[in-house]
Amino acid sequence: MKANRPSDHHAVLIIGGGIGGIKAALDLSEARKDVILIDKSPAIGGVLTQLDRTFPTNNCDICTLSPNLSAGARQKHIDLMPLTQLTGVEGEAGNFTITLTTAPRYIDTEKCTACGLCLDKFPKYIRFTPGLDHRAPTCMRYPRVTPHAFSVKRDQCSDFETLASVCPAGAIIQGDKAKTRQLHVGAIIVAVGADVFSPEALDNYGYGKLPNVVTSLEYERIMSASGPTFGELQRPSDGCQPRRVAWIQCAGSRGQNKGEVSYCSSVCCMFALKEAIVTKERFKEDIETTIFYMDMRTFGKDYEMYYQRAKEDYHVRLKRCRPHSIIPADPDGALKISYVEDGFGTLEDETYDMVVLATGFRPSAESTGLAKVLGIELNDHCYARTGSFNPVATSRPGIYACGVFEAPKDIPETLVQASASACLAGKHLLPAATADSTEPVYPPEKDITGELPRIGVFVCDCGQNISGTVDVPDVVNYAGLLPHVVVSRSVGYGCSRESLDIIRKTIADKKLNRVVIGGCSPRTHESLFQDTLMQAGLNKYMLEIANIRDQNAWVHADRPEDATRKAKELIRMASAGVVESHPLIDHILELNQSALVIGGGVSGMNAALELAEQNYTVYLAEQAGELGGLARQIHRTIDGSDVPTYLSGLMGEVRAHKNIEVILNAVLVDHEGLPGMFKTGFQIAPQMYYRQIEHGVTILAVGAAPNRVDDYLLDKHEAVCTQMELGNLIHTAPDKVSDWENVVMIQCVGSRTPDNPNCSRICCQAAIKNALWLLDSNPDLNIYILYRDMRTYGFLEDYYLEARRRGVIFVRYTPESPPVVEAGGAGVHVTFNEPMLGMKLMVVADCLALSTGFKSDDESTEDLAKIFHLTRTGDGYFLEDHTKLKPVDMSVPGFFVAGTAHSPKNIGESITQAHAAAGRAITVLSRNLINMGASVAQVDKERCATCLVCVRACPYDVPFINEDRYSEIDPSKCHGCGTCASECPAQAIQLTRFEDRPMMAKLEGLLERKL
Amino acid sequence: MEEFDPVIVAYCCHYCAYTAADMAGSMRLGYPPGIKIIRVPCTGKVDPLHVMRALMDGADGVLIAGCLKGDCHFKNGNIKALKRTAYLKQWMDEIGIESERVEMVMMSAGMGKQFVRIVTDFLDNIRLLGPCPKNTNQQSNRILSELV
Amino acid sequence: MITAERKPLDEIASCIEPYNRILLVGCNECVTVCAAGGRKEVAMLSSALQMVSMKQGKTLSVVEMTLERQCDPEYVESLALHIDGVDAVVSMACGCGVQEIARRFGQVRVFPAVNTKFMGASERAGVWAERCQGCGDCLLGLTGGICPIARCSKRLMNGPCGGSGDGKCEISGEVDCAWHLIWERMKALGIEDRYEEVISAKDWRPARGGGPRKIIREDLQ
Repeated sequence: MKANRPSDHHAVLIIGGGIGGIKAALDLSEARKDVILIDKSPAIGGVLTQLDRTFPTNNCDICTLSPNLSAGARQKHIDLMPLTQLTGVEGEAGNFTITLTTAPRYIDTEKCTACGLCLDKFPKYIRFTPGLDHRAPTCMRYPRVTPHAFSVKRDQCSDFETLASVCPAGAIIQGDKAKTRQLHVGAIIVAVGADVFSPEALDNYGYGKLPNVVTSLEYERIMSASGPTFGELQRPSDGCQPRRVAWIQCAGSRGQNKGEVSYCSSVCCMFALKEAIVTKERFKEDIETTIFYMDMRTFGKDYEMYYQRAKEDYHVRLKRCRPHSIIPADPDGALKISYVEDGFGTLEDETYDMVVLATGFRPSAESTGLAKVLGIELNDHCYARTGSFNPVATSRPGIYACGVFEAPKDIPETLVQASASACLAGKHLLPAATADSTEPVYPPEKDITGELPRIGVFVCDCGQNISGTVDVPDVVNYAGLLPHVVVSRSVGYGCSRESLDIIRKTIADKKLNRVVIGGCSPRTHESLFQDTLMQAGLNKYMLEIANIRDQNAWVHADRPEDATRKAKELIRMASAGVVESHPLIDHILELNQSALVIGGGVSGMNAALELAEQNYTVYLAEQAGELGGLARQIHRTIDGSDVPTYLSGLMGEVRAHKNIEVILNAVLVDHEGLPGMFKTGFQIAPQMYYRQIEHGVTILAVGAAPNRVDDYLLDKHEAVCTQMELGNLIHTAPDKVSDWENVVMIQCVGSRTPDNPNCSRICCQAAIKNALWLLDSNPDLNIYILYRDMRTYGFLEDYYLEARRRGVIFVRYTPESPPVVEAGGAGVHVTFNEPMLGMKLMVVADCLALSTGFKSDDESTEDLAKIFHLTRTGDGYFLEDHTKLKPVDMSVPGFFVAGTAHSPKNIGESITQAHAAAGRAITVLSRNLINMGASVAQVDKERCATCLVCVRACPYDVPFINEDRYSEIDPSKCHGCGTCASECPAQAIQLTRFEDRPMMAKLEGLLERKL
Repeated sequence: MEEFDPVIVAYCCHYCAYTAADMAGSMRLGYPPGIKIIRVPCTGKVDPLHVMRALMDGADGVLIAGCLKGDCHFKNGNIKALKRTAYLKQWMDEIGIESERVEMVMMSAGMGKQFVRIVTDFLDNIRLLGPCPKNTNQQSNRILSELV
Repeated sequence: MITAERKPLDEIASCIEPYNRILLVGCNECVTVCAAGGRKEVAMLSSALQMVSMKQGKTLSVVEMTLERQCDPEYVESLALHIDGVDAVVSMACGCGVQEIARRFGQVRVFPAVNTKFMGASERAGVWAERCQGCGDCLLGLTGGICPIARCSKRLMNGPCGGSGDGKCEISGEVDCAWHLIWERMKALGIEDRYEEVISAKDWRPARGGGPRKIIREDLQ
């Protein structure tokens, strides 16, 4: 490939094909921008592909992710380069010249069908293992590897010619060489992630010597259906199922010893809880799970409830302590852990069959070299150094970092950063790149009028997902005998590239005019198979999908015979229905390319500004009389950055921007329309006049409210204030503060309680921020922080360490015995248990600061939820579409959420999510047309009795009786609900795709008694 | 005697119940295989005639599963379906078939667990009612032919 | 519009009990609009009757047809193709349609499946109310456009009677007193003085008093 590709100048280079890089690539491609995605390994997918289930949904995310990787239309914009590294960068933002070096694969990915013959014959020469597990399975890296091809280990291959001769596809290339090429890109996103720590260095845990000590990732592989034991939980020493499993947290993290790092890896508490829960779910009373931890850091959205569920519902044992070592207990492989639980003081000995080390992240080996090539700075821990108010921007303009390369974090936060960096990177591209020129081109549609139905039935086995329960060959044979079925066959993973190729080819070879897929849910995969039909020249509506996975194999796993019978019935129903299908045309409408941002705080303003910068019109509606939101009451961040200066700069930019209209005092009153063409009405105070805004997307950034409690003498004694008020006081009354001798802070006040069960996330850092700030001006001050778990995740741990070093005293309390506060003159007397000393202490505090955290702005989220039909969490935050994989999108298309309206977060995190929301919004706005689908009501004018039933029944007032005296329904206005069709007394209205004929045919097909 | 395994046709709204059913799948929550799901864009699309035909063609019960009140993607299709269910029950009474064979239920897309509970309870209830007329006949015919 | 309401199912079922094959005929005019006998109702009734038969261990075959208008002989003629194959006809049209089929096909039994109720208007979706009794001598010009014959329980020509209270008729709190409505309308029109004028006794001969009626337009014959 040469540097003169037409799209080079507009492309974004993404380094790293893990979930962050993939997400950024998908977002950019959805926004019609070109992407070059490179990864040093032979396949993309990253760590996610090795996980069995992910928290907090306990789903297999690869199932949700993989269809995106092979989605044809999007890939038009993505140039995937495995085995490729960046070796040079020159130029500046908007016009970088990059040098890429691709290692030889010795296999032509275009020809390789991953048949596995080479692997059978020469297992030593072929690369395919995960490469991190000494008990790795002989399989591809994960079942649906992309690209779907093997690679050759050249250095170990002694007889290349013989190897090449076994390949039936002729895909093995002996002379393959490293290639170097120069390209131009507008921006670069670095998503190389980090390495997983290997605990061999920690000799006290015996990893590598004791076979039953495994890392958490190895435990994932053991539990995984595609893992070395095919999902059987077996301890490595003897293959027996363990009865007692322990997890040791912070293995290699939060430490000062040899081989340890000082920061917190952020995700280990949650994945240990997840592994324990999944284990308990599977083995119930047959297994005991114990987690040894220092602080339980479940600070993410609804994670605290997950922790409580682990404790209350699954009876996971939780022991607060860091065991020193793991000792062999018997020759069979049992392990002994001796420990002193915090607050008990007695030494306990326990034996376990398996111990899992919760190992965290290490900066990847390549990061230092890569940073040098990129010319970006790294922080002290060798992760990317980024801005306080823009956590995805590196030190070099035009280069962005997302995911764990920026700091340890979980999948949703990685995805938020990926979307944010995609948004910011998109800014540097030339506008020409957003043209419509690269839309997929399909062959002309074949005219099938007059043809008899010729159905092809394709049944997926979906790995073991379907075939583990359903007898797929039996179903395939059965389907072959159904009326009009010309061909019936199984297709493995039907959604994989090669299966789609087979389907496309079969349509052509057998002159099929209708297709039935027996597979997973049409909700997730319909568009993919429709795309395949279109590529084969068939109308995309000549398709029916029988949901034999989600609604059959997965729910009837205990009754395989019934599941097989039901699969036949569902396929019979689908093929009866597809006989009655006919070609349809989608209705296309023009899209309104402007955005409504609700909420004028830091999140709302950042989202608005990003959209405006990329030339979209933005209406920024704020209920209050001024912009700024909660940030107006914050003076600095934990790293000392000045919030007021940042905020006034931001407000100035927003007010001055020609593409932003700020609407203050705006109260939301009504809303209608579809994604791409919404109409939202506001009443504007004080005159309360009505104004309607027309917009294509909506971003919700209404924030959360500072919590306040009626406890600990708050509002009753002048020495008691909230953490935020303390910040104000330090800023405005430094003299007063410098006279203090004792300050006490109480954490988790009004959070992690029955009323407000979640963690407010920001309080631990806020307390430490204020403590350090106080010590700056008053170094002799005694500060006591009374906490339940210190949740200084990631690099915030540095500040926790600094606070301890500078003499802040941290004392843990339990909810059962909270501190007691009594008035004592100008100060307050705070009494609390000191668990180390085992006695009660009393401090006379000049100031008591309560970390009251956040609560949702229940009133406004409730109003918004009602008007926009959005869903909320139990505690009143907006509930995103998918807690793991779609952390910014709401379930209603065209709605995105940013900032603390989603969940508690700090300023930097809010800004990132605002950028992500803007980026996600751009994926909608960059299209100038909206596809309304083909499901619309159609009137048979011969039958219409002009009875007005449809006119009265339509929720959108679309039908009317026209001059020719029959009911007319404008397809561009019809929403496709079908209410008119089911009420029409003359049976004159049919909803296309759901007409009476296919609906009845499906019923008959389903209920036919003979099998 | 062999236990009667009812056949239930469940018309599920794409936006809620169908998604909840998929979720039940991803959570691997089991329910009886007699539950057969037909996807509709909205329960407002469920034609009373299609329900009648389902019962006529051999279903022992029909479940109409839509969104929670106030959550309909199309404003009020679920409410219309609710009224239509009451109308259908009047027909059932007249025909002399237990009106409990047709029910409308409401749920959100996230309610995978509830989906399983609702469909299982419904099926159990139909099991107590016994087969619908068509199926009764088939069974009685079969018994007769065996006797002969 | 003529309104009708489906008969109880057991009544219809008992009519056709002796028969195995029936022709079920709807009408695409008034009874479609009032949701009593259009294509949808035909299909519903057909399914219901078949299920009743199934319960009795019988098989009923139903030919479903819906005519543009059952009260016109030309439309009814299209049933001729099917009539020999059936044992009886069930009509979902108003009485006019039932009679037209019976007239044309004298050799088969024809049963009504609906009760023809009244000439009325639809107040809103799903609600129809009586408005006209076809008295043959319209006096709506005198009564502000509200008919005392169709809407007063007593058909009073000079009302209201002593049973009128709070604007409602004494027979039911659901029924408006027609004369109260007439008075309110007259007030709104500023013609209260007309209310005092006594309307003379009605000549009922143009109504049913003169026997069955007929309209003839010579020019169209």
